[in-house]
Amino acid sequence: MSVTVASTAASSIERAVDDIIKQCGGISPNTVLFFASSRYDPASISRAMHDAFSGAQVIGCSTAGEIVSGRVMKDSIVAMAFDDRTIESVACSVVTDVASPDSLADAVRDLEEKIGTPLRDLDFQKYVGIILIDGLSGSEERVMDRLGDLTDVTFIGGSAGDDLNFQSTYVYLDGAAYTNAAVLALLKPVGEFDIIKTQSFRTLDTVLVPTKVNEERREVLEFNNMPAALAYARAVGVSVKEAPKRFMHNPVGLVTGDDFFVRSPRQIEGDSIFFYCMVKEGMELALLESTDIIEDTHNAVEEKVRQLGRASALINFHCILRALELEEKGQSAEYGSLFADIPTIGFSTYGEEYIGHINQTSTMLIFK
Amino acid sequence: MAGKIKQMIEKIIEERSNGNEVLKSTTRTKLIIKGYNPDTWTSRSEDDPTKIAELKQIARDMGVNL
Repeated sequence: MSVTVASTAASSIERAVDDIIKQCGGISPNTVLFFASSRYDPASISRAMHDAFSGAQVIGCSTAGEIVSGRVMKDSIVAMAFDDRTIESVACSVVTDVASPDSLADAVRDLEEKIGTPLRDLDFQKYVGIILIDGLSGSEERVMDRLGDLTDVTFIGGSAGDDLNFQSTYVYLDGAAYTNAAVLALLKPVGEFDIIKTQSFRTLDTVLVPTKVNEERREVLEFNNMPAALAYARAVGVSVKEAPKRFMHNPVGLVTGDDFFVRSPRQIEGDSIFFYCMVKEGMELALLESTDIIEDTHNAVEEKVRQLGRASALINFHCILRALELEEKGQSAEYGSLFADIPTIGFSTYGEEYIGHINQTSTMLIFK
Repeated sequence: MAGKIKQMIEKIIEERSNGNEVLKSTTRTKLIIKGYNPDTWTSRSEDDPTKIAELKQIARDMGVNL
């Protein structure tokens, strides 16, 4: 076995980490990825996991719910350990201040020194990046945008959560816990790997163009030269007061050819709508309508496994809004069961990363 | 004058993708996320100096010589 999955709901960090060590007993990992509920003290869990796997690069983050092969969990820790039969090499760095371009530049330089090659020169078919980033920083777009400028390597990941407390989120590297930060991990897998990006919406004919925005605040003041809240309410056929009830089922999507990147409205304030990610003035955004998460996810995973021939591991960055919708519909267990036959870990995120920053999506890294 | 923005966008995509279809698609997506959808600009689009300056900066950031 070159990949091992572990999970625990033990409440003490000592017992929880002991549980994970026992479940990972058959492997000498070079890389350990873990996702831990915010009920575990950040500094303590990062230190304990690092000490438990001292020969490995240990990275992780806080969550708003966890996923492990076949099960959706809460208040737990899930971990995946890889050895050199799956991950040939790994290099990690931390962006200590996600709001600072200099901090990102330092982290990239650190990665480049570790691998001895500029990120720009790396073969995107041989390397893949994982990014775990503070989910309350509001900085994901800028970090992803700059990373995309610097490299063709795909960085996939999620925004850390804190079990819907919205107080502080953490990323973990080398035994330390960081907030307002991001961890970058550059992996060189031994075999094939691929990305799944799945969201359960179809595009409608209605297009909303932001004509006045405040990008920094993720605020749209006007759509189609009308007050944003009014334009959105009209588009979905309800009053402004009723409009927030439609946010989850009718977000908007930035169409990119055959695909789209979901932008989810968060709340109405005055005439404005605040989003969970930035939208730019002049972007054409299609109104979306929700479809079936279980069916769409099943199809997306099955198709990718079919293309690869098999799946030895899967990491699922699963939007908290999708998790809440599944919970509301009583489908969480069914969702978990979609991953019963694949060694899987994942967590409920405050945002998903793939090329850019996305909402109401699952981004997954799958290894053959 | 018209069409310069379309030309710049196409040049960025060509340079960054180096003929690779996957990278072509990814670079297009990156540009769309930055607010420059290649499909909305044509050879008849007006040469807006502000947009041209923005695209020059994007090209520099992406390591492309226009």
